[in-house]
Amino acid sequence: MEHIAELQHVTKRFGSKAAVDDVSFTIDKGSIVAVLGPNGAGKTTTISMMLGLLEPTSGSVRLFGQTPKQPQVKQRIGAMLQDVSVIDGLKVREVLALIRSYYPRPMRLEELAALAGFTEEDLGKRAEKLSGGQKRRLGFALALAGNPDLLFFDEPTVGLDTPARRSFWEQVGALSDRGKTILFSTHYLQEAEVAADRVILFNRGKIAADGTPQAITAQLTSRSVTFTTDTRSLEGHALMSADTEQHIRERLLPVPGVHDCTCQEGRWTVTADNTDTVLAAIFRYQLPVHDIRTQQGRLDDAFEIMIHNDDTQGAVS
Amino acid sequence: MQMLFMQCRAEMLRIIRNPYYVFWSLLMPIVFYFIFTRLVNAGIEDASEWQARYLMSMTSFSVMGSAIMTLGIRMVQERTHGWSVFMRITPLPSSIYFFGKMFGQMVMHMFSIIVIFAAGFLMNGVHLSAGQWVGSGLWIWLASIPFLALGTLVGTMKRVDTASGVSNMVYMILAIAGGMWFPIDSFPAFLQSIGKWLPSYNFGSGAWDIAAGHSPSWQPVLILLGYLILFMVLSTYIRKKQEAV
Repeated sequence: MEHIAELQHVTKRFGSKAAVDDVSFTIDKGSIVAVLGPNGAGKTTTISMMLGLLEPTSGSVRLFGQTPKQPQVKQRIGAMLQDVSVIDGLKVREVLALIRSYYPRPMRLEELAALAGFTEEDLGKRAEKLSGGQKRRLGFALALAGNPDLLFFDEPTVGLDTPARRSFWEQVGALSDRGKTILFSTHYLQEAEVAADRVILFNRGKIAADGTPQAITAQLTSRSVTFTTDTRSLEGHALMSADTEQHIRERLLPVPGVHDCTCQEGRWTVTADNTDTVLAAIFRYQLPVHDIRTQQGRLDDAFEIMIHNDDTQGAVS
Repeated sequence: MQMLFMQCRAEMLRIIRNPYYVFWSLLMPIVFYFIFTRLVNAGIEDASEWQARYLMSMTSFSVMGSAIMTLGIRMVQERTHGWSVFMRITPLPSSIYFFGKMFGQMVMHMFSIIVIFAAGFLMNGVHLSAGQWVGSGLWIWLASIPFLALGTLVGTMKRVDTASGVSNMVYMILAIAGGMWFPIDSFPAFLQSIGKWLPSYNFGSGAWDIAAGHSPSWQPVLILLGYLILFMVLSTYIRKKQEAV
């Protein structure tokens, strides 16, 4: 598989603080990669180095086998960055035409307008007069202007409402179907899960985890099996005996991957890495339970602590 | 080639659509010209000589303004709006980006010169030979280059507010102390001796010489070249320092 991007032992220091600390990864052609992490985890710094906007303090960054500053590389990439406003004094059509002229094989103007959802009337407007959402769509169109093979989106959905988010991810999916490689950053786990086929989790400048969204989600969230105990079948009245309680705990706690086994007002919650093994144990021992449900829990405490710590320390990226 | 053409075209469109350009670089100098040749100094003896000289003053004043302010403030704006970051990830070479800006500016300077000369001719019937018109126009056009370098120096500032405040002040001081509004001969001696070293005085003096019927001396040429080198070195140095992150 062709490596579109390759980072080897990349470190970026600002003063004494390492914003990115010994990061290595490769990106395969056609993949959609989410760089996930709290603010200040080093996501934007990493993307800036991949775009050639920042020099790594040490280590190497290669896109298409070359350094990002090469013109041949720049002809094949496109990006939508944070804090980039629109150029003033030009109409939307003129801005698109201008940026298209920088690339050897640009995307057709009609196609760009369609992808950004610009009408003929929008195309005739001055860029600075567009609404916030339209400006964002112009940024999206500019990232695509050169018909790039590799696309970068830095926190693309911040400030977008739900329908706008959905349509953005639909378009990203469509671009991926056309063979484009996409790398985006986000601090929403759920977004990475839905949109990406690979997640690289950043924390404090290092890669904390790297894998499929399912694997990362499993790592970051707790899963549980809940059920009620059918006390009547044992005792004939609606009281749970200490014996039953004891029995359930004895059977389930030793099951591999089970973290906890608690009972609150008649409903049991068993947290575990793998809910399937818990279910198997329940049936194997024929435990007197019913109304069994499996649940994907909320974000693991670890992830929340990660975000929380970072908020108090201030962002670096 | 396509890239270069598109870039120059875009920069020209952006300047001509800028209301500040139209106001400061075209309207203001023409209004001043009207006031100081038709209202204030209307009945003086050598009126036609004064009218020609003051036309040169106001044209230089206009071109100097767009070179310092339009260019400088726009550069700061492009940086604060993140636009110059975006440009760096496109394949557009920074040399073409820069050339496009300078080209757009120079075309606009030419346009300002023609418009203000035409206004002088229509308003006062300023009479110069064809050679004088072309010569003084070319002088103002070419000698505006050091002020573009000064504009790029303004363009290294961090905030639009600072850049517009500072460049406004520099512009006004240069214009007044360099004798563009009132002849430098009417100043006290020490102000005259300072003024004669300013780039603005040397900018104007070449055009005044040509309008008065003799060719400009080497002195303003050399002084302006010196300023050009100074501003270029300074602005390159500051930019390099800012980029070294």
